[in-house]
Amino acid sequence: MKFSASRDALLRPFMLATGVVERRQTLPVLSNLLVVAEEGCLTITGTDLEVELSVRVSGVDVSQQGQATLPARKLADIWRSLPDESEVSVAIEGDRATVRSGRSRFTLATLPPADFPRLEGDSADIKLALSAEDTGRLIDQVSFSMAQQDVRFFLNGMLLELTDAHTRAVATDGHRLAICTLPVAAQWVGDAAGPNHVIVPRKAVSELARLTGDASDAVELEISKNHLRATVGEYSLTTRLLDGKFPEYERVVPKNTTAVIEADRATLKNAFQRASILSNEKYRGVRLMLAGDQLTIQANNPEQEEAEEVLEVSYGGEELEIGFNVSYLQDVLNAIDTEAVRINLSDAASSALIEGTGDDDAIYVVMPMRL
Amino acid sequence: MSQRKIIHADCDSFYASVEMRDDPSLKGKPIAVGGSPTGRGVVATCSYEARRFGVHSAMPMAEALRRCPDLIVVRTDMAKYRAVSKDVHEIFSDYTDLIEPLSLDEAFLDVSGVEQCGGSATLMAEEIRTRVRDNLGITISAGIAPNKFLAKVASDWRKPDGQFTVTPDDVQGFVRELPVTKLFGVGSVTAGKMARSGLNTCADLEALGAAELSLRFGKFGVRLWDLCRGVDNRPVRPDRVRKSVSVERTYAEDKPGLASCLDQLPSLFEELSQRVAKANCGGRIKALTVKMRFAGFETTTVTRQGSGLSQKLFGELMEEAWARGERPVRLLGLGVSVNTDDVARQLVLFDELVP
Repeated sequence: MKFSASRDALLRPFMLATGVVERRQTLPVLSNLLVVAEEGCLTITGTDLEVELSVRVSGVDVSQQGQATLPARKLADIWRSLPDESEVSVAIEGDRATVRSGRSRFTLATLPPADFPRLEGDSADIKLALSAEDTGRLIDQVSFSMAQQDVRFFLNGMLLELTDAHTRAVATDGHRLAICTLPVAAQWVGDAAGPNHVIVPRKAVSELARLTGDASDAVELEISKNHLRATVGEYSLTTRLLDGKFPEYERVVPKNTTAVIEADRATLKNAFQRASILSNEKYRGVRLMLAGDQLTIQANNPEQEEAEEVLEVSYGGEELEIGFNVSYLQDVLNAIDTEAVRINLSDAASSALIEGTGDDDAIYVVMPMRL
Repeated sequence: MSQRKIIHADCDSFYASVEMRDDPSLKGKPIAVGGSPTGRGVVATCSYEARRFGVHSAMPMAEALRRCPDLIVVRTDMAKYRAVSKDVHEIFSDYTDLIEPLSLDEAFLDVSGVEQCGGSATLMAEEIRTRVRDNLGITISAGIAPNKFLAKVASDWRKPDGQFTVTPDDVQGFVRELPVTKLFGVGSVTAGKMARSGLNTCADLEALGAAELSLRFGKFGVRLWDLCRGVDNRPVRPDRVRKSVSVERTYAEDKPGLASCLDQLPSLFEELSQRVAKANCGGRIKALTVKMRFAGFETTTVTRQGSGLSQKLFGELMEEAWARGERPVRLLGLGVSVNTDDVARQLVLFDELVP
């Protein structure tokens, strides 16, 4: 295998493919990228056996077709360090790869491409086309609520719910919940017997967010029983799905809240930010006190230092005192992008429903803390 | 920080006392509460009469019977002890809310600023001990001091059924004479190391100085520097948060080899997973530990950083532990330590997800 290309044309492909490669590996070949050179184009693939990212780059000068696996991180580091706009050539001889650019030369060890494991995607049951913007919105609105390394492994991901009327993303870590619904219909391939709920693992969600970050291409989703494939332009992300029963999230969205706060989002966000400085670093608890049209936010830490913020808000309800993990509230206020927000409450032991005023895409549910 | 007043209350041979209270015929006799002597049971608590024969807690019951052939063995009844413990706790709570239980029979009370008994922690301790004796029929010892470390040492000073106060003025004199083995964190290994360097009392440690202590004992040296001068700023923490979850099993027959230990892994792992789920701390795991006790009682533990429950990783740790002894194994344990930031008070959305 032998090819040459401009450094810039392959920089992002190498970086993104390396992004899915785990630092600590059980199989040596998983630290490598699979590079396949065909007539005028290159396909680069990285995998961790759960998530696989493949990118096809055309306009590459391939003088000898073939394939090889090269150490991902070293290759990406070399590529990143070469000067902008430089020309780079890669040649495989025996089990060595030589990377040349200008007066630089690097010789890297390779591993046999036959050992490189591929994710076997089964044929798709559902197809869905989303704009990059919609995909980004679904992820941005909910992904912060995903659990991390929870034993309830099905919480370590994002639920995608697909119907012929809407596409919905849901995430929860058991304390808080985020739901974003967009009016985009899915299409069933053949009979509509396929699944309409899938849980996309955390890592695939963040990789997908990176792919769609500055893309203008539409995102093609293909979903089967065990896999999801997202194609964005030249990039193709395949992930295994999390197998498990996602909790019945609709049941915990409060229906009959009795007290409603309406406030300016930025003002509220800044007040929480200041109060959080003196909240307990571990518990992160803040106390919200509502009386008339006044909201008082209080925080204190084990050193008995105390913060108090008083805000004018519009409030309809009885006097109420309720505690929250301030980080959960801050995350929600960061995700919402409307000017005003509405916080619907019932009592100190019941969940709060938070939404942007005039935004009907996303809702957030946060359970209180007992302070 | 103003002067604190801490009481360390410690019931005397708690399980045994409860059993003697409920069956007065046991009074004045050597009794041991614990597991069966025919299996691999160990002594949980024993009466002071039994201690005279050299019986102590954690001793195999069979060994205890060898030392004290007249020993009366009573099976543990945790439900009963929990109920008595709750009653003791209620008496404590008449004095302060700042109660940090260490186990069923032991607790720290922060009574700084409490006005009862004229504000005297010594009198409060006396009153608590009288009430426990009169109302619950068991005896409790107490240590009163300006911090947790000294209070805990002091509660042992006049045991059983006694109390000892270290006033702020006494701290210097009290602590200087204290053997290093009384310091929390100084186990037999560290104590041996200290003894070889001629460090036997806190005064010896203090003479070394802060820098030398850090050099010799690393991070722990900083803590030693405080303790050897009687300094301990740890607050009394009500609602103690869980720091670890573990499961261990003593086998009726020793496991002869690594393979037979690994055979036990799935069931141990299953039980640990359930306990972790029950403690709702799966997301906060910071390290995994395997404990292995070989025939002959040497115990080794292998710990590795890790954030998830992994049977595979436990298997690797078990192999490592085995390699240290390569002898038949009588006890196997798996455990995780967890980050202690509290989620206990955070309410949950899905009750069904909390087993």
